[in-house]
This record gives sequence, structure tokens and C-alpha cells, in this order.
Amino acid sequence: MSTITQAAPPFEVNPRSSAASLSRFIRRDGIGLITLVVLILVILGPISSVFLWAFAERWRYPSLIPTQWGLSYWNETLSRADIGDALPTSIFLSLVVTFLSAIICLPAAYAFARIKFRGRQFMLLSFLVTNAFPRFGLYVSIAVVFFRLNLVGTLPGVVLIQLVNTLLLMIWIPTSAFQGVDRSLEEAALDVGASRWRVFIQITLPLVLPALSAAVLLTFVGTFYEAQGALLIGLPNVRTMPVLMYQLINNQVIVQYGAVISVVMWLPSFFLLGFAQRFLRGGALAAGFGV
Amino acid sequence: MSVGTLSSSAPAPQPRRLSTLLGYVLVAPPVVIMLLLIFFPALQAVIQTLFIENEATGQTAFSLQNYARFFADPIGLSNLWYTVEITIITVLLLFLLCVPLALYLRFSNSRVANAVQVLALFPLFVPGIILAFALIRFMGTRGTVETILQLFGFTGYHTPYLKPAGIIIGLVWEGIPFTTLVLTSGLRQVDNALIESARDVGANRFQIFWRIILPLIQRPALIVFCLNFIGVFGSYTIPYLLGPAAPQMMGVYMQQTYGDYQDRIGALTQAVITFLFCAVVGLLYVRTVTRQRADAR
Amino acid sequence: MSTLTLNNLTKRFGDVPAVNGINLNVGDGEFLCILGPSGCGKSTALRMIAGFEEPTSGDIQIDGESVARIPPNYRPTAMVFQKYTLWPHMKVYDNIAFGLRLRGLSRKQIDQEVSESLEMVGLAKYGPRYPSQLSGGEQQRVALARALVLKPKILLLDEPFSNLDALLRVRLREELRRIQRQVRITAIFVTHDQEEALSLADRIAVMNKGSVEQLDKPSAIYANPQTLFVADFIGAMNLLPAVVNGDEIRIGDTENYQVLPTPEGVHDGMITLAIRPEDIAIVPDSTVSGSGIWRAQTSQLFDLGHYRKAFANLPGIANLKIYLSKATNISEDEPITLYPIRYLVYQDGKPPIETLRAKPEGVLAFS
Repeated sequence: MSTITQAAPPFEVNPRSSAASLSRFIRRDGIGLITLVVLILVILGPISSVFLWAFAERWRYPSLIPTQWGLSYWNETLSRADIGDALPTSIFLSLVVTFLSAIICLPAAYAFARIKFRGRQFMLLSFLVTNAFPRFGLYVSIAVVFFRLNLVGTLPGVVLIQLVNTLLLMIWIPTSAFQGVDRSLEEAALDVGASRWRVFIQITLPLVLPALSAAVLLTFVGTFYEAQGALLIGLPNVRTMPVLMYQLINNQVIVQYGAVISVVMWLPSFFLLGFAQRFLRGGALAAGFGV
Repeated sequence: MSVGTLSSSAPAPQPRRLSTLLGYVLVAPPVVIMLLLIFFPALQAVIQTLFIENEATGQTAFSLQNYARFFADPIGLSNLWYTVEITIITVLLLFLLCVPLALYLRFSNSRVANAVQVLALFPLFVPGIILAFALIRFMGTRGTVETILQLFGFTGYHTPYLKPAGIIIGLVWEGIPFTTLVLTSGLRQVDNALIESARDVGANRFQIFWRIILPLIQRPALIVFCLNFIGVFGSYTIPYLLGPAAPQMMGVYMQQTYGDYQDRIGALTQAVITFLFCAVVGLLYVRTVTRQRADAR
Repeated sequence: MSTLTLNNLTKRFGDVPAVNGINLNVGDGEFLCILGPSGCGKSTALRMIAGFEEPTSGDIQIDGESVARIPPNYRPTAMVFQKYTLWPHMKVYDNIAFGLRLRGLSRKQIDQEVSESLEMVGLAKYGPRYPSQLSGGEQQRVALARALVLKPKILLLDEPFSNLDALLRVRLREELRRIQRQVRITAIFVTHDQEEALSLADRIAVMNKGSVEQLDKPSAIYANPQTLFVADFIGAMNLLPAVVNGDEIRIGDTENYQVLPTPEGVHDGMITLAIRPEDIAIVPDSTVSGSGIWRAQTSQLFDLGHYRKAFANLPGIANLKIYLSKATNISEDEPITLYPIRYLVYQDGKPPIETLRAKPEGVLAFS
């Protein structure tokens, strides 16, 4: 039996040593590592500041971390009356608006994607162009009408205003998702005898669920954090968390209040990010805008 | 065993025209809402700024007076110009940062790349107010950045808070996810074979990027440019919370004109002008997208 | 099991007629191929039969009853698509069971039907798998099973094998034919691959630019292509522009030319000459005399295993494709004497006129 000797690669004495594998890893994805570190600093840095403040009793400059930790501000903040009021309001509003938006926009998205009718392209694009009009200018005009209709300071008024913001996302992403379902999959179902309704429920819907979920999640989060409309139409009776947040940033000296609220407000979106990032990576968002 | 077909119990076949009607019915709700809550208020805003009541005669007539007033006002003009500047800088910075990021994500499949992508998506779920608050804590005076720099002995830290740079940092931070996602998608449509064949004839990485990749992602790049432009141009939260008192971006200026100065018509005029800027870019977007869709057919 | 009739079937997209008044009669249990290049309208015609396109005019009849107004869910047709045929979010079992469940069969009946159909396409244990776990060929077999399990009257296939590799295509072709004969179902198969059509079909409808140029058995189409398009499209063919001058057909120009005898019914003027490679005999240089003998030079030789393909160059006139048997002792760049035995003359757009000559002495020919 002949043995073939191989010259050992010069830079790897013992391929199993952890130092060697680390150096291999770095060389292979050095750029990636640097990018990762930079992103961690840039993206997570500001967030971590807030987190630290939320759990700080006392934090004097120039200490790198709080001089004293504690949860006392949590109790104080969360038991504030206005938060106890604003948090449920925000959640309720977001749920209602997202739900309404889904009912209104999803069937329309299906129609845009699958049904040929005159003016389809024009209507689709109009959602975008009207989005170019500055929100605030719209609200100013709407505010007058709402005032006359006694909608200012009411929940329905805020619902309507926030609904407007959701239209673009809830139409464009689902439309592109529906278009992405290959026609022959639907035709094959028709061919074996399914009714159009059944084709929609059993074939089309399961295939667009990821993209739809991404749109719904983004809508929910966007509505939850919507501030301008709620500010203009909601006050003084309807106060959402973002509205509260504005007041707290501007008028409050004690940083911890703002920090705690930030963490509280931001937690739900953190969980939703976990869900949505899988859907978004599939390209649903980009596809929704024509890429 | 005969399974039989469904034709034995065939209902009356639907005329094709019914589906067109169905189409209109289904798209009616959002279109109606858009008309009522966007189109008509916008139209009303435009009309109100264009038709002025003559106090003497009580008659309303077409007049560009409001717009003349805006353009004659140096503050307004400087705000408008300021907005354009900040928008362009922000959008350019976003490209500079996200194109390499997208390239990395496109060509790398490792776990590190996965983590990078999750991080890049992160800002999508951070609302503007919280971001502003966080950035103030992070890069404001006596904030994290200054603290860390202090540790290394740098004492001359000037915070970008309440300066134009603060706005730009905030808006860029917000814009990273969308820009990266769209660019990555656009890059994914560039077939590996195109790049490999360039490699095959001897092109180096830069040449491949400049001559193959860049031309092929023109459309996604244009789309991202337009949508970012529109979003940044009219933004309010970040400029309001992180920017200087003067000059102001149009979004902030509008709110101030309306809220503090009680000048409704003035605010509406500013809104229309802002819209015109965005509309031009919006039409560019529309043209790009329709051309892309036509090509794809 | 059923007959299909297309009556002046037309489909216009805007001003363009994709399908231009075609007439077809498909008999019970017949395997008909619609063959043509891309854009000829074959897929549109098939989709009209299935119900996914509405005809602009004309009629479609199955067993004598018009189905043109019936939507695809209620037509007694079943289609195997070209790609993306299986629903990716459902297992193979559910893909096949889908149509059965719509018809209200019991669980036991469905189980039996599904396993029988999977058995028939040779995928007996594949029920629990997902389409993504199957190869392209396996997916199309499941698609076939799914179509057949509903016992449709007409089976429609839209280039089902064109996304598969060559070897797989041949194998699936044979299986499809076996199954079709076994079940005795009327099948319409659309393809652009003439080899596929020739091997599968009882009859072929050759389509070009929306019309059927010829409808006949494969052997007839091969032997007597009625138009130049069909002549060129089916099988290998030498097409040569030529001029008729009395009883001579002349290819080449006035100084350098070769001749063939003119058949009856061809007048003076321009024609196109069509000669199949296998209809060109190779003869030893010395033994033959007479008209219609061409002296050429071999240029390229391709060894295809059981025969050889070669190009014979008539310098300044044409480059002919010819076939050589394994025995023929000729290599590249050698003189060769050719004797066209059978040729077709196309003139004035009319059906061709055939000439068949006797084989000369000492033929080294292929055929």
C-alpha cells in the first residue's frame, strides 16, 4: 500500500487548534465581523443607553454605567395615571386600526393583483403619490372637517386618521405578494374543480401568509407609534403613548421616566421584530415597492 | 370506480364581466378612504391657499399671494433650502452606508451575515420618538459617546444634538432597514452568472461593481432614492426633537406655523410647496416602477 | 373516452390573432400533439380548451356539447402545467386528494384513489412528502397522477417535460404513453420539440403563427410535409433554393451548378428543393452515369453511435447534410458522389411534388 504524503499547509500547524480556526474564521469573514461590530455599536448602542437609564437609580457623568441600579422608577412611572390610561388606549387603537385596515385593504390588494379592470394601475400608484403630501398639511385640513363633525378628541376620529397612514403599506405589500403567487398554481386548483373562493382560501392565502403577516405587523407597530395624527385629533381626551412620550421628552427633567416608558413602549415591537424579520427577509417589503 | 366530474352539477357559469365589477367593489373601500381623507383634504388645502377672499369686496379670487409671501420670506426660503440640503445629504449617506451593506449581505451566507441582516432590520421597529430619546442619551452632552471618549482621553466632544448633524444621524439610522432591504432585493436579481462571467474574463472586484453591478441596480437604487427622499423631506419627529431651533425642516416649520403662530393658511401653503417637491420625485418613482413592470412582462 | 372538436377557434389579443380560426377533431382515446415554435399559439389554444382563456370566436365541443362558456372548474378537462404545478404547501397526498375532497369522497375512497394513482405513475410511497423534496421528474409524475385521478374526459398537457433534462424527458415520455394507452384517455399534448411529437403522437397538428399548417399522422407529416414551414420544422431537411429550366432543376448559379430531373406538374421558375439527408444515396464514383449525380466533398463528420452525420459540400452551391452508415469508409475532406433518391419540389406555396428514383447500382447508401 502506497502512502501519499502531502505537504502541510504552512499556516496551519494543527488545524484543530482553536486559535487556528479562529484565524481562519476571521480571514474568511473579516469584513462581516467588522460590519457586525460596527452595527452593534451603531444600532444597539443608542438602545442600550435607554435600557441602562431605565434601570438606573442614579447615573452621574462621567460614569460609564449607572452609579446606582434600581427599579424604583418603574413603579413610579407605571403607576402614573396617564400611563395607565395611555397604554391600553394605544393597544386598543392599534388593534382596531390594524384590523380595519386589513379588512379594507386585503381584498382590494387581491383585486389589484388578480382582477383586470380599468384604472387599476392608476389607482395603485395614486396611493403612493398621495402619500407624498405631507401628513401634517393633510391633518390641518382634516382637523377643520373633523371639528365640525365633532370627531376631534374622540376615538373614532383618531382611528380614521391613523387608518389613512396604513393604506400604503397594507395595499402595496399584499398586492405584490398576491402577484407573486404563480397563476398556474391557482389555475391547477380551478382545473380540478375548486371554486374561486376555495382557491383563494386553500391555495392563495397560505402562500401569501408570510408577506401578509409582515404587512400586518408593520402596520400594527406603525400605528402604535403614530404621533402626529393622534396629537392633532386625539387631544385632549384621547392620549396615546407616543403623545405622552412627546410630553415627557420635552418637559421632563428626570430622564428615567422617559427611559422606562421607552422600554415599555418598545418591548412589544421587539417581540414583533422577531416574527417579522423572517418574513421581511424574503423580500416582501422590497417587492411591495416595485423591486 | 367512476369519480365523476363536477360538470354534472355545474352551476350557471359566471359572465366574465362580473369579475370586473367585483374588482371595483373590492378596491372601493380603500380608494374611497383615500379620496375622502387624503385627496379631498389635499385638494382643499391647495384651493384654500390659491383663492383669497378680498376683504373689501368679500369676493374670493385666484391669487398666488400666499406663495409669493412664502418665497419673499427669508426664513421660509432658508427653511426650504435647508430641508433640501438635509434630505439630499441623508439620502446620499444612506446609499454610502447601505450599498456596501447590501453587497455584503448578497454575497455572504454565513451566520455572521444573518446577524448583520437582523441588526440592519432593527430600526424598523424603533419608533421615531424613542429613537430621538435614545440618540439624545447616546450622543447628547454627557451621553454614552462622550463618556466613552472621555475614558480614552478625548475631551473636545461636541454633540451633534440640536445641530443639523443630529437630524441627519437620526434620519439615516431610521432609513437603514428599508434601504438595505430594497438594495439587497435588487442585488439578488443580479444573477450570479453575470458576475462569474465577468470574473472569468479577468475583472477585479471594483470593476465588477462599477461596470456590472451598479448599472444593473439602477432601478432599485432609483426607487430607494425616491421613497427615501419623500420620507425624509416631510419628516417631523426626528428633526423636531434632534434639530436646532433654526433653521427648521419644513415638517417642523409647518407645525410651528400652525401651532404656535396660528397661521393656518401659511401652514397649508408650506404643505403644498412641500408636496410639490415630493410630487416631482414621486412621479420619477412612478415612471421608474411602471417601466420596470413593463420590462418584466 | 371522449371526443374533442375545435370549430374555427380564434383568439385575439388586441389586433393580433394568437389563434386564427383553427379546426380540429380529436377522436376517442387519441393522443394528439400540437407542435410548433414559441409564439405559434399552441399554448393559447390549449388554455382555451382548458378554459383559462376565453375564445374571441369559434367553439369548443366535448362529446358534441359546447363547453366554451363553461369556466375551467366545471369543464371535464384536466391539465398538467409546464411548471409550478404542485401546491408547495401541501403534501403529495393532499395535492392529489384536493380534487377528490371537493367531490365529497369518503376518507377511505380518497386513500384508495390516491394510492392507486401514485402506483400508476410509479411513486407508490410518496404520499407524505412535500413537493420541494421531489425532483422535477417526480413532481410532474405527481401532477399527472393528480390530473388522472379525477377521471377527466380530456387530458391536457402543456409542455410538461420541457423543464427536465433530456434523458428524463425520454423516459417520462414513454411512461406517459403507456399510461395514456392503459387508461385509454384522450390526450392533447403541446410541445415545441418535434422529436417528442413524433414519438408520442397518434396525430400531430403543426401550428405556425396561429394556424394549423398540417394535421396528420407523424409518418405522413415526416414523409410529406405540406408546407415549407413543416418541411423545415420536422426532422432534418436540406432546403435548397433552385430554378426550373425545362426538364432540369438547377441549384447553384449559371456557371457552377448541379441538376436534378424535373418532375411532372412543375413549371419553369423558382422553387425550393427539399431533400431528407437519408434520401441522399452515396454511390461509388465510377459505376453510375446519368442526370442527378452530384460530386461533392465531405467537410465535417459526426459520429453519432449507430450512424454518422456528415456535411457534403458542393463548392459554391450548397452544404448538404447526409447520413452515412457505420460501414461506409469515408472520412473528412474526401470526394464523395451523391445520388438524391427522393426529393420534394415546393412551388407557388402549393403542396409539394414528390420525385422518387430507383436506387442505382452499387449504392453505398445509408437507406
